[in-house]
Amino acid sequence: MTMVLNHPGIADADHNADALKRQGSRERRVLASLTLPGAILIFLVLILPIGWLFWLSFFGPSGEPTLENYTRMLKPIYVRTFISTFEVAGLVTLVCVLLGYPVAYLLSQLSERTAGLLMIFVVLPFWTSVLVRTYAWLVLLQRTGLVNTWLIDAGVISTPLPLVHNMLGTVIGMVHVMLPFLILPLYASMRAIDSVYMRAAANCGATPSQAFRQVFLPMSLPGLAAGVALVFVLCLGFFVTPALLGGGRVAMWAMQIANNISVYGNWGAASALGVVLLVVTGIILYVFKRLFRVDSFEGVR
Amino acid sequence: MPGRVEIRNIRKAYGSFLALDDVSLDIAPGEFLTLLGPSGSGKTTLLNVLAGFVRPDSGSITIDGAEFLLLPPHKRNLGMVFQNYALFPHMSVRRNVGYPLRLRGVSGAELDRRVEEALGLVQMAHLADRGVNALSGGQRQRVALARAIVFEPSILLMDEPLSALDKKLREHMQLELKRLHDRLGTTTVYVTHDQREALTLSDRIAVVNGGKIVQLGTPDEIYDRPKNKFVADFIGETRFLPVETGASGALLYGRPLRTRDDWKGATGEKPWLVIRPERLRWKGDESQTANRIEAETTDIIYQGDSYLITVRMPDGAELDLRRGPDLGGKDLPERGQPIQLWLDREHTILVADKS
Amino acid sequence: MHKSVKRGLITATAWAVLSTTAMAADTLTLAGLGGKVQEDLTATLFKPSAEKIGAELRTESHDGIAAVRVQVQSGAPGWDVAHLGAEDCAIGAAEGLFEPIDYSVVNGDGIPEGVRAKDWIATNTYSVVLAWRTDKYGDNPPKDWKDFWDVEKFPGRRALSVYPQEMMEIALLGDGVERDKVYPLDTKRSLAALEKIKPSVSVWWTSGAQSAQLLKDGEVDMEAIWGSRIAGVIADGAPVKFTYQDGVIGFGCVAILKGSKNVAAAQKLVANIVSPEIQARIPTMMGYYGPSNKKAFEAKQFSADVLTQSNASPENAAKQVTMQPTWWSENIQDVQEDFKNLIVQ
Ligand SMILES: Nc1ncnc2c1ncn2[C@@H]1O[C@H](COP(=O)(O)OP(=O)(O)O)[C@@H](O)[C@H]1O
Ligand SMILES: [Mg+2]
Repeated sequence: MTMVLNHPGIADADHNADALKRQGSRERRVLASLTLPGAILIFLVLILPIGWLFWLSFFGPSGEPTLENYTRMLKPIYVRTFISTFEVAGLVTLVCVLLGYPVAYLLSQLSERTAGLLMIFVVLPFWTSVLVRTYAWLVLLQRTGLVNTWLIDAGVISTPLPLVHNMLGTVIGMVHVMLPFLILPLYASMRAIDSVYMRAAANCGATPSQAFRQVFLPMSLPGLAAGVALVFVLCLGFFVTPALLGGGRVAMWAMQIANNISVYGNWGAASALGVVLLVVTGIILYVFKRLFRVDSFEGVR
Repeated sequence: MPGRVEIRNIRKAYGSFLALDDVSLDIAPGEFLTLLGPSGSGKTTLLNVLAGFVRPDSGSITIDGAEFLLLPPHKRNLGMVFQNYALFPHMSVRRNVGYPLRLRGVSGAELDRRVEEALGLVQMAHLADRGVNALSGGQRQRVALARAIVFEPSILLMDEPLSALDKKLREHMQLELKRLHDRLGTTTVYVTHDQREALTLSDRIAVVNGGKIVQLGTPDEIYDRPKNKFVADFIGETRFLPVETGASGALLYGRPLRTRDDWKGATGEKPWLVIRPERLRWKGDESQTANRIEAETTDIIYQGDSYLITVRMPDGAELDLRRGPDLGGKDLPERGQPIQLWLDREHTILVADKS
Repeated sequence: MHKSVKRGLITATAWAVLSTTAMAADTLTLAGLGGKVQEDLTATLFKPSAEKIGAELRTESHDGIAAVRVQVQSGAPGWDVAHLGAEDCAIGAAEGLFEPIDYSVVNGDGIPEGVRAKDWIATNTYSVVLAWRTDKYGDNPPKDWKDFWDVEKFPGRRALSVYPQEMMEIALLGDGVERDKVYPLDTKRSLAALEKIKPSVSVWWTSGAQSAQLLKDGEVDMEAIWGSRIAGVIADGAPVKFTYQDGVIGFGCVAILKGSKNVAAAQKLVANIVSPEIQARIPTMMGYYGPSNKKAFEAKQFSADVLTQSNASPENAAKQVTMQPTWWSENIQDVQEDFKNLIVQ
């Protein structure tokens, strides 16, 4: 005897298949349509302007197609500015890591309440304008500034130290502005590290310092990488602080872009500078991501 | 054999709340001891005191007579399997398991050999180079176990290691743990809230409640001689019936109850009869009135491996009993019909509310 | 393609424009660089001029030629008149951003040739001057840029601007070029001179406020600075002096935005702004600034004090070089790049 699995009256097993399929794709369409506003927004405010920027970069001031905007960048001033921009960004990022990591670690080990209170000091720089902050640093660091005056009065030095109007001043000022951007994501990722991992490490026989270096530190790397990427990219676009605190000597790519638009009115040249910065930044972030595997630990040995 | 642990008068308070209330416990070398108790009873706290993660307010722990309590965690040389495994996500399986060895200065071929061996013991050698995030729950469990035993610790601590696994896998892992213990003979302190797991695995069980050890004994002692209603209730599918005590002895619903032990409760304290489904018989000598329960069948449920029969007492209390499936559907009581049940004398357990 | 792209940039501003055009025809909108200077210019020049022609004046602020460019490219600018630095006027004129000045309405006599252009006209002057700390140089201060360049006779820390305008002129003067031979700028020579002084330049300043701060705090001993900025430093009691000797006179200017709906009224406004009578208000109302119209000094009698203070008084103007905005508008990009290349390390 053969078993009849089909319900009597249903002619074939394909029954409803089409309807179910239609239902499925309708559901998918509905879900996709929910992402539509976001997709449109991204297209309008991100993809479109960048595409346009790219397009503009191939036209000269009077609208003729040209590669001049790119060949211009081989001039020494652009090459130098390019190098110094990445130097400044790299240096500032490095100092931010050295200062920000211990702070984030301290905060992550405190109770949420205390950490929340101390966090106010971390984000305090956000509440003053860049210009005010920058002038405040001038007042502190210049030859006749507070720091040099103290040091001379205390007999530590006899001639003022060149703390500002150079690369050092630029880095100090920018680190002040950038530190929160490193600390915040890093702190969040450190908070997310369950204390059970440190216990597990101790249980395996690790001293507190071994546990920190071999377990906590690597586990905090994704947060650190996020902070580093953020700070680095933000640094690339800075120019108020470097201009003032660098004594005019620290050239940033963003200043050149601003000059090209505001002074020369040369949209094409400015676009080309923007495109180059965008592309190089993209490449760096990609390499960085590959090196540090920002997205996951999978397969790490 | 070394590894004798003596826990003495451990107290730990969180504010005014006593998480551990003067806990004392001896663990014999090679023993598999389980801390069994409901959630919040203090099991993890006690285990963490052993591991060095929680500093008690007072007390002492010695191992082979030497004070152990003041050692920092990394010097205690204990293997521990954490509830959520706590495998390091930035290390592969191999590196996770090798970590305790590397910290002990083992390297090269020796390291490889011992890691391989530990992974072999938990049948994970084939996945040694995976990232731990690519493992299933059961696999992580095994890796965590391998990491805890790879350095041949004197004591192995496990905190509800199987609670995140599904039932089938859990039961399978219980067997493996037991086999592993038989093979390695490592003194093991195991924490669970699952009484069946405790019964399956343990040499001895310490039942914990409210920060105290309420009973310590072998699984059959715990099961068959619960000291009080709490222990009896916590172990097995237990029901309780009220028992009257008079001059002529114990009475159950007015019928004489012959018990295994005489009731030694305090005056005025009423005993409870502990009834477990597998201990009730419904075939017996109809003339025997002692230890007889008259009830009415209310439900019969086929559960594959057995029938679960629910009966109602005259006072409305319900009992379960279990009958093997060997007779098929034959010979079952009928729903709504009266039924007579007997409880053998050796299975009568009387407990008080407290002891 | 370029035009259509540019138009696309700006359509949004059209909304603002609609409301402007709906207003009475004799409401004029003038946009300047903002801040204290614009307030003063409005009180001194713009407001009285508007009153004379019976027009309502609204003022707004912008941050340079880029903003003006955007307004014009929108096809319907929200501003009728822009006040800018003269190089920016020249740049804008070269880009065709402005309506021509109607010289049948505007009388340009008395305004120097180079700053009385087809599409724009100078409204005021300022000077870049040499200033120094008296506590450093005492009775023997530097007299001119040749002294500024003489690091042996005048040791000390110096500051110049990061923008090449005026600095290139100063460098030539410091290198010994006569005042009337400065234009057209010999950029090679100028850059070489800057290269020489570079080791003594401890700061290249970025903003006027910064330049004032540097001298006030004694961060540098001498610098090139706007005369208007030095005024504040001296007023604060800092031991600082300056000289108009070898100063560089620069200009502010106005232009009528192409597409303005009020060109006729705007021409009248401009005519009044540059008229000797209105211009004559500058020396008394805006110390250290000067009129662009030389006839202002004939239109009114000024006290000796005012004449020594005003950068454009005949006596002071004779000591200085007059900047040529047109030269700058043609060369700015290359010069700025070379200049920048020189100062960055
Ligand atoms: N750090 C702590 N602070 C306050 N109370 C705690 C802390 N750790 C544990 N407790 C309390 O101690 C009791 C025992 O906890 P625990 O040992 O984790 O129980 P379990 O038997 O479920 O493992 C619980 O009531 C818990 O709330
Ligand atoms: Mg627990």
